[in-house]
Amino acid sequence: MIKNTTHLVLVAAALAMVSIAVAGDDPRHERHELMEGVRDAAKPLGKMLKGESAYDAEVAMASLATFADAGKTFGDLFPEGTETGGGTEAAPAIWEDRAGFEEALAQWNDATEAAIAAKPANLEEAKPVLGEVFGACKNCHDTYRIEEEE
Amino acid sequence: MGRFARIAAGVIVIAMLVAWWITAPQTIAEQDLPDHEPDAVAGERIFWAGGCASCHANPVNGKRAKGEDRLRLGGGLELETPFGVFPVPNISPHDDDGIGRWSATDLVNAMQRGVSPSGRHYYPAFPYTSYARMRIEDVLDLKAYLDTLPAVEGRIAGPELDFPWSVRRGIGAWKRRYLDSEAVIDVEAPDDLVERGRELVEDAGHCGECHTPRDQFGGLQRDRWLAGAPNPEGRGQVPDLTPGGKNVSDWSASDIAYYLESGFTPDFDTVGGSMVAVQENMAMLPADDRAAIAAYLKALPAPAAPPNAR
Repeated sequence: MIKNTTHLVLVAAALAMVSIAVAGDDPRHERHELMEGVRDAAKPLGKMLKGESAYDAEVAMASLATFADAGKTFGDLFPEGTETGGGTEAAPAIWEDRAGFEEALAQWNDATEAAIAAKPANLEEAKPVLGEVFGACKNCHDTYRIEEEE
Repeated sequence: MGRFARIAAGVIVIAMLVAWWITAPQTIAEQDLPDHEPDAVAGERIFWAGGCASCHANPVNGKRAKGEDRLRLGGGLELETPFGVFPVPNISPHDDDGIGRWSATDLVNAMQRGVSPSGRHYYPAFPYTSYARMRIEDVLDLKAYLDTLPAVEGRIAGPELDFPWSVRRGIGAWKRRYLDSEAVIDVEAPDDLVERGRELVEDAGHCGECHTPRDQFGGLQRDRWLAGAPNPEGRGQVPDLTPGGKNVSDWSASDIAYYLESGFTPDFDTVGGSMVAVQENMAMLPADDRAAIAAYLKALPAPAAPPNAR
């Protein structure tokens, strides 16, 4: 009986932890998921830029739409109190220099918007506009992201 | 003075002379330089490969210089190491505060022998142990390019270290053990691309300075060449680039070249930490050079020694 109770407690604890992990209400978790989605959308673009796959305008526009969606809410996911914990890679600079962070994020949003407006039909047209988008990713990461050991 | 005392005094004098000789700065004389017409355009490539700007460019508002600001080489960055803090000197062509009055021979001796124009040893925070392997012609081209950059005012004071590191003369003994212009890795049947990559990685690029672990005297462990090392600037590890390394070994040559060009990993994460500045330098090189670096890294053998062998 005691053994069963212990099991029950362990199972309950495990369930609780899983539900915290999947709960959408932790901004640290939400922003991580959002960035993962952006990264997955960036991969096909990268393959095209590297010449590993042929340019596909439809796929490119879908990826850019994912970026645009993410960019709308991403900046709201860094409230006070979520500076650390949960394996976050957010740098303290986000809270120390919020204006700079917002500017770096705006640079990415603007570049994404411009790339969508350009509707690149082939790789030659895509290269400069996607270059701006990727450059903005990197620029923001340089200052506002730290790397956590996996 | 008794006989024993005289012998002891003699031994001490001889030991001091030997120590003086061992620690003496070794330099190259002007007449030993090759006959070479310096080419500033070729020198720019060496400048980016060598990563001069990553340490020597003036920080802008306390941050790493980017873009054109990387050409203002007034120094001022502080390198924190286990041996003490090294303020990076001004190497802009300013006559008084920089290296404007240096001859080509002065630059060769600084970069390849670790000796200043006044004959003092430099601390190996300046990676002359890597630059020593460069072709002298490349250093002469680099000098021509550095001369074209803006002169920046402001003299940077030298490092203040604790004893015994404060005794520069001792670096002479260190150099006897660790300063060597031979190639590190003998690649089996290297082609031209791999050999070019070897020069970029081992020599000018000085990749080994961070990616190779150091022994207790701060010398690189050649039997763990590019096999990863503790991050000198804080937490974590500088990645292992050899086969079997966990971060990079499954990258293809084109993945490596693209990473150096764009800063994006095959997973579409971006470059981080100190590698950001390195990658931005590598992005300035011709595409062939990045392909050469990738070819060399893919040709690397497994490390000769297991981790923590010492």
